[in-house]
Formats: sequence, structure tokens, C-alpha cells
Amino acid sequence: MSTSTLQTSLLDRSPGPERTPAAGVRRPVRSRRTRFTYTLTVLAFLLPSAIPLALFVLGPMVAAAWISLHEWNLITPMQWVGLDNFARLISEGETGEVFAHTLYYIVGYLPLVYIGGLLLALALNRALKGRAFWRGIYFLPVVTSWIVVAIVWRWLLNPANGVVNAVLAWFGIDGPGWWTDPAWAMPSIILASAWKDLGFVMVILLAGLQAINPDLYDAAKVDGAGAWRRLVSVTLPMLSPSTFFVVVISLINGFQVFDQVYAMTGGGPAGSTQVVVQQIYDLTFRYGQAGEASALSWMLFAVILAVTLVQVIGQKRWVHYG
Amino acid sequence: MKRTLTAVGVTAAAALILAGCASEPAAEGGDDVVVTYSNFISAGGNEENLDLIVEAFEVENPGITIDVTTLPYADYFTTLQTDLAAGTIADVVDTNYDFFPQLAASGALAPLEVSNPGAYRESLLDAYSVDGVSYGLPSSFSAVVLYYNADLFDQAGLEYPSADWTWDDERAAAEAITALGDGIWGSHQPVSFYEFYKVLEQNGESFLTADGTAVAFNTPGGIEAAEWLTSKSGTVMPTIEQGQGSPDFDTNLFVEGKLGMMHTGIWVFGAVADVPFAWDIAVEPDNGTQASAVFSNAVGVSANAESIEAATLWAEFLTSSQTMVDVRLDSGWELPPISDEAQLAVYLEKGSPANRQAVFDSLDGIALTPLVENGQQEMQDIITEELIEAQAGRKSVADALASAEERINAVIGG
Amino acid sequence: MAEARSLDRRGAGERSDRTSADARRRASVGGVLLHAVVILGAALMFFPFLWTVVTSLSDGVGLSTEPSLWPENPSLNGYETLFTERPFARVVANSFFLATATTVAQLFTSATAAYAFSRLPFRGRGIVFAVYLATMMIPLQVLVVPLFAQIKAFGLINTYLGALLPTFAAAFGIFLLRQAINQVPRELDEAATLDGAGHFRIFWQIIIPNIRPALATLTIFAFMGSWNSFLWPLIVLRDAELQTLPIALAALQGQYTTAWDVVMAGSVVSIIPMLALYIFAQKYVIQGVASSGIK
Repeated sequence: MSTSTLQTSLLDRSPGPERTPAAGVRRPVRSRRTRFTYTLTVLAFLLPSAIPLALFVLGPMVAAAWISLHEWNLITPMQWVGLDNFARLISEGETGEVFAHTLYYIVGYLPLVYIGGLLLALALNRALKGRAFWRGIYFLPVVTSWIVVAIVWRWLLNPANGVVNAVLAWFGIDGPGWWTDPAWAMPSIILASAWKDLGFVMVILLAGLQAINPDLYDAAKVDGAGAWRRLVSVTLPMLSPSTFFVVVISLINGFQVFDQVYAMTGGGPAGSTQVVVQQIYDLTFRYGQAGEASALSWMLFAVILAVTLVQVIGQKRWVHYG
Repeated sequence: MKRTLTAVGVTAAAALILAGCASEPAAEGGDDVVVTYSNFISAGGNEENLDLIVEAFEVENPGITIDVTTLPYADYFTTLQTDLAAGTIADVVDTNYDFFPQLAASGALAPLEVSNPGAYRESLLDAYSVDGVSYGLPSSFSAVVLYYNADLFDQAGLEYPSADWTWDDERAAAEAITALGDGIWGSHQPVSFYEFYKVLEQNGESFLTADGTAVAFNTPGGIEAAEWLTSKSGTVMPTIEQGQGSPDFDTNLFVEGKLGMMHTGIWVFGAVADVPFAWDIAVEPDNGTQASAVFSNAVGVSANAESIEAATLWAEFLTSSQTMVDVRLDSGWELPPISDEAQLAVYLEKGSPANRQAVFDSLDGIALTPLVENGQQEMQDIITEELIEAQAGRKSVADALASAEERINAVIGG
Repeated sequence: MAEARSLDRRGAGERSDRTSADARRRASVGGVLLHAVVILGAALMFFPFLWTVVTSLSDGVGLSTEPSLWPENPSLNGYETLFTERPFARVVANSFFLATATTVAQLFTSATAAYAFSRLPFRGRGIVFAVYLATMMIPLQVLVVPLFAQIKAFGLINTYLGALLPTFAAAFGIFLLRQAINQVPRELDEAATLDGAGHFRIFWQIIIPNIRPALATLTIFAFMGSWNSFLWPLIVLRDAELQTLPIALAALQGQYTTAWDVVMAGSVVSIIPMLALYIFAQKYVIQGVASSGIK
């Protein structure tokens, strides 16, 4: 495929090569022996990852499913209770609350971190003096532990003498109570998380930007496309595989948000930031209800799986593999 | 249960790989015994002090080696519970008072034949026994006292706190000191479970009913105690918005000379030692009944220890030997759990604060942490959360206690 | 092979601009603004790290109630305590070893799996990929207890191998590299096939050189994941000689009190190598692209 047809297919949004019948280079081969060789090849590529994942993740996942059918405090023998844990979780209002808090986090966090990370990646992909240095600075929060980040953000967002409310006061705005106020605690966590993860999204998208063929920009310029048009018709579509990755990973991780909640609010005030994994942790290691915790994790699993499948199916509409 | 869990893990895993590797590590040969000891007590600055005790023990008991694992306190119980689940606990393990009942109930601990029970402070030794049998040996204790900044008391023209002070005395002094202005606050007391059960007893109330299956704090006296605790915030103590409740908040404020009184443990002596103003401590004020919080740690011996005898020997050495007493008193590493007051006399002469006698006077009226069979941690979380709701003014004290009563009873009653 | 390469040797130069003087002026105003925003944002990003350094250099145990940008009683006590009173050098070496081993293993297992998911069609591939992704969807907090029982059954408690095995493969890296391989033009494979190359050669000689930015990215995240991981090493590694950095840092906090200067010194020690790796890997991303023939 020449550059121009590549670009045409991109602009036309016609199916990429991934979905054309010719995609499988080896597929047309029929002979039994070559097919056997092909199977061996597939196994050779897959087994190095499949074995550790099956043993050390899928195995414990199955074990967790077994535990979810028991009442267990980790320290005295398990009692079989069937589906009681699930029934109790469904009937308890708390379960709905922790899922709602988690969803609240995701809805606030994801757009913030993606748009911020994209702008950052675009800015730091340009010819900028000391570009590597600035990238390093923006990456700092990613490698700083939540213990430190939480202490600093609790200061910045301190309602009485924090920097953020001081700045708001210049504009005549009476700042909120942030993490001390049940209504503002989750926005505080969202803000700190987006700040910390900007560098993560930046790194992924920078690598994606590097992979874009510069000829596409030249061709677009020849066609008279301005900067905005080039962003919309070249950069964003070509970045879509990276975007897809960021969105899927951020959602999977977002549903399992824990560290920042644990460090910033511990789930409070008044349980307003109690999220699913914090609940799972509490149930397992603090409240002696490992069975219920396992049941809750499997409920969480079902939700994440459903959301991810929707994205995987939906990606065909907007993700382009050049 | 351990076997079931392992079995599940194993089934899920590939039997192939299992075959070669499932054997247990070979037992130690010869006469030498290794005792593994998993601890949190030395984390955060006392690692070398623990080493001193280990060395002394190994010199005295040739043939026994102590293999020490030090874990962060905040994560110690996560690790211990995982070990209990998998049946891999160390020969000698640390525990605090709160977790001890669960640990003892797990059946993982060996009953101890204490060779010299008289060496221990009786109340502490009793705290770690079940039906008259010791399952743990107390390793240290700390008390909560009232710290005060004498300079600020002078400035406000007040008498210093004394053992016979009541809540009213503290309140009056706190208000007078707060009135000094300039960012100075009168008195700091954390709003939490650990303060609440104590102030309940100071007011002649109790947290749990006698049989321990329901809470008993939702009474007029209980509400009065909760009000005493939560009403300091914003009047004589900074609010949560102003930073109260952040790590080390009270100690910093005190060290900066901006706090008249604070309720905290004797573990802060070191941090406060070098302040440029006069300070001392007193027994905490009460409202009729003297009640002070005492926190203790202990060690237990695993029922599966390779040599319960050697492990017990180490546990006793760690908790009652002369070396331990010297190391602890010398370094100010909490207090040794011993009964011999004469040995503790050294402690009284250690310098600031002058009134170290108050630490021992506090022990005359101890408010023990209320313990329940199921839902200990959840109970503590609920009451702390509700009290903070009252402190922040989002609920009335009465509503908070009523709500806490209902929620806690649902957890501990079932 | 040579043909495949030359096929892709394209003109370089988004920045070979032929803009008018007017546009250039507009661009320079935009450039100044861009610099200003980037620098302002960087200050906000840099602040917590600066504070960490300042606190690590402040003598005394307390966390000050208000952030200060200058150490109160400047001293190196925090660092001294860290390296003289604790086996910190050993701890750092452990973390380095585990993170390096994890990274190497993940680069291998991720690249091979990603190649299969991108270039080797087989029946049920979509489902297998979904199962791979599913391994990311259960929180570690419920997996540690069964995982620990399993590692015990293997007799690997308190061993490097016990800590490492569960990190050998991660769906994160596989997914990341699959996305990257999907973007490598298939003409390159086809040309190589015509040259008689098999899958192993295509993988090694065509795909790997063309996904270097993604490999560098994965290097950063795999290393960081191991470097910062807490719960699993805490549970499985007990001997002081085996403990890793985050655990040793947490153990600086006592039951009642914390020496914050030491904790923050430890945080600085743990941040610096990660930052160095990042800066190194970023350079490699750009070099990699320049030499791989995509640009």
C-alpha cells in the first residue's frame, strides 16, 4: 500500500488492513504439516506469557471464586455459604454506594487526564527548548509515591490555608472544604489523581505520536489543511490506537482505584470516598470477611469486563491501525 | 482451611510444575535451633535496640539463633493474616492488644508456661491470657498523658494541670490560653475511638454492655462525653479544615509553642525534648472517674514452632530480661512490662518531663480497649466516622451516637 | 529485507516548513505562550518533589504544618540514618535486581504475545485476548492470599523467584505492544515473506526494530511497576536481606511516630533512579524511531 492509499483509507475511514482477508499472511496455506508448524509457531509466541498468567493470575482468580462461596476471616476454617455473600452484597445499600463512588471517580478523572495528557503530549512533541528536561519534570509525579503526593495535595487543597483556596480568593471565590467536605472529597481525589497520571498518559501518547508517518502531515499540507485540520484529520485518527489503549487501561485501573483514596481520605469523610477496592481491602484484611470481599471482586470483575467488551466492540468505529 | 486453600491454589496451578517443588524446606539438622521472629515493634527507629536484645540472648543461649523479620506496623497485620491463612506464621510473632483475641482464637498460638510470671505487671500479663492460660507475653506498654506548655500557662496566669484536674479545669484553662490569640490554641485531643472509650469511662460510662454484645454509650452520660470530645474542635482546638487530624499535627503545634495542652502518648517525649520552653505532663483530667488509655504490645509463640521450648525462651527473654529493661529504659523505647517498680525508678530520673511519676499514676485507672468477638475494626471505624461527623458539625452529637449505636450493634451483635 | 526497509524509507520533515513570514510570526507568539504554559505547569509538577527534597534535608522528626521551600535546620541526617543505620544499599540492590528481571521478562513475554495477537490469526484469538485482558480486572488485594498459598506450595516463599514469577507476564505490556505492532505497516511483513522470512525472522528483524518507542515505554512502566510494587513483595519476601525499597520505606514509620526526614530521604532515593531511567528511555524512543526506518 503506498502512502497515498494509506492516507486515503485513513480519511475514508474504510477498514484498515487488519480486517482485510489478506491480513493473515499464513492463513491460506492448507497442508496439514504446515498447519501443524503454524500451530507450533502460535504456541511458541503465546506460551511464554500464557503460562505465568494462567498459573499466577487465573489460578488465584479461580481460588478467589471458590472463596467467594464461603464465609472466611482468613484465620479460622472456612464455612460454605453458597451464594449468600453475593445475595448480601446485592441487598446491602453500601455496595451500590461504593460502585457509585467509583463511577464518580472515573467520570471525573478520565476526561481530565486524557485531555490534559493529550495537550501535554502535543506540546512536548514540538520543537521546544529543553524538551527532554520538561518531559522529565512532567513525569516526576508518576514516579512519586502516593504517600508523598497525598500529603502535598492535602496541603494544596487545605480549606483554611491551602494554596488553591488562596488563589480562588484572589478571584473573589470562597473555596470549598475539599477533602474535609463529603461533597468535595471525591473531586479532590480526582484532581490529585489526574495531576499525578498526566505524565503517564503523556508518555503513551508521545510514543504514539512518534509512530505517525510524517508524510501524512506533508500530504495534508499540500492539500491545504491548517493546523487544526491536521490535528483532527491526521494526528487524532493516527493516535487512535494509543488513545484506545489509554482509555481501556484507564478504565480498568479506574475501577480499581485504591492507593490515592487510601492515602488521601481513607474512604472518608463519612464514607463519601469509599470505593470498591477500598471496601475489598477493608473486608479482607480489616473486617475479617474475605469471602464477601472475593464476591465483591467478582462483581467488580463483571462490571469491568462488560465495560471493556463494549469498548473492544466499539473500537471498530473509531480506532485506525495505519 | 489452610489445606483447602492450598488445594484450590494447587488445582488451579499446573500439576506438572508442582510435582518437583511441593516439598517443604528440610528441617534444621544438628543441635542448633533457629527461632524466627516477626516483629513491628522495632520498625521506625528501634531496629538497633532490638538487635542488642537479640545479641544478648544468643550469647546467653548458645545453639539458638534468632532470625528477625521487621515489618512496617501499618502493614504488619495484613502480613500476619496472610500467614495465618497459609499456615506460615513465624515461631514468635508480635501482636497488639486489639488483635490478640483474634490471634488467640485462631488456634495458631501455643499455650505458654511462663517460668516467671511474677516478673510481669499483673494487669498486662492477664490481658494476654484466655481463661487463665497465657497465650501471649506483654512486651511493652505506653500510656496517654496530658502534655502542657508551662510558659503559656504562666502567660495566661494559670495554675499548672495536676492529677486532680477535672474536665472543667481543663476547659477553663484551654479557653484562657486560646484567648491569648496569635494562633495559640488551648487543648488538642484526637477525635477517635481510642479517645472516646476513655472519656466514656472518665464520665463513669462504658463503651460496651457487660456481656460485650452491644454498645452502651448512647446514654446522657455518653452523649456528654462525646460532646466533651467533639466540642474542642473550633473552640479550643483547630478544626479539621485547619489541619487537625493530619499526621503529627498536634506534636508540631506543641513544638512550635502554639498549643497549651495535648492528649497524647509518652512516645512523643523524644520529639518534644528540645523545645525552647518549659513543659511537663500530668495525668489526664477526668469527670469523676480516673481513666487513662494504656496501649501494650505482646508476643505469642506459634503452636507449629519447630521448637516451642526455644521460642518460649526467646519470648520470655524479649519481654522480661534485664537486657530488655536496660535497653528500653536507656533508649526511651516505650516502657518494659515489668512489675519491679524499683527498676523503673531509673525512668523517673531520665530528665524532661520532670513529672514522669504521672506515667505510673496513670496506671492506677486504666481504660482498657473494648474488645468484641466479631467486627472489632469495623466497630472502631464506625464510631470514629460518626464522631468526626459530629466534630465537623454535620450531625448533632446525639444523632451521631444513635447512628453509631445502630450500625455497630448490627455488626457485633450478629 | 533490504527492499522492505527501502519501501519504508520516507522523507523526513513535518518541520521542513514553507510557511509565510506572517505565519512564522504568529507561530513565535504561540511558541512563547507555549513555553510559558509548559514552564508554569512544570512548576506545579515539580513542587511536590522539591518539597520531598526539602523535608529530607530538614533535621527533626516533625512534618511541618505548612509546606516550606527551604529546609528548617538543614542537615544530611536523614540520608545518613538511611545508609548507616539501615541495610539500605542492600535494599536498593534488591529492588534493582527484581525490577530489571521483571522488565526483561515482560519485554520478552509481551512482545511475543503481542506479535501473536497482531500477526498470527487463529481460531478464538479474540477470546484468548479477552482472557488476557481479564487478568487485569481482579484487584490484587483478593488475589494475594490464594497466590501466597500457591507460592508456598511451590516452596518459593522468601525467594526472589517467588516474588518474580507472578510478574513475568502482564496484560498491560501485551496490550501496549499489540497496539504498536498493529500500527506497523503490513507491507513490511509481506515483503519479508517474499524474501523467504518466517515468523521468527519477521518478529525479530521487522517488528522489533519498528516498535522501539513502545518497547521503551514498556521498559519504563514495567520497571516502575516492579520498583514501586508494595503488597506482593511485602507478603512474599520476609528476610531483611530480601526486602525491597517500598517495604523498607514503609518500615521507617513506627507504630506511634515517624522520622519524616528519613522517610523523605528514602523517597528521594527511590525517585531518582526512576527519573534517570525515564530520561534515558525517552532519548531512546526518539533515537529508536530515527533509526528504525519509520521516520
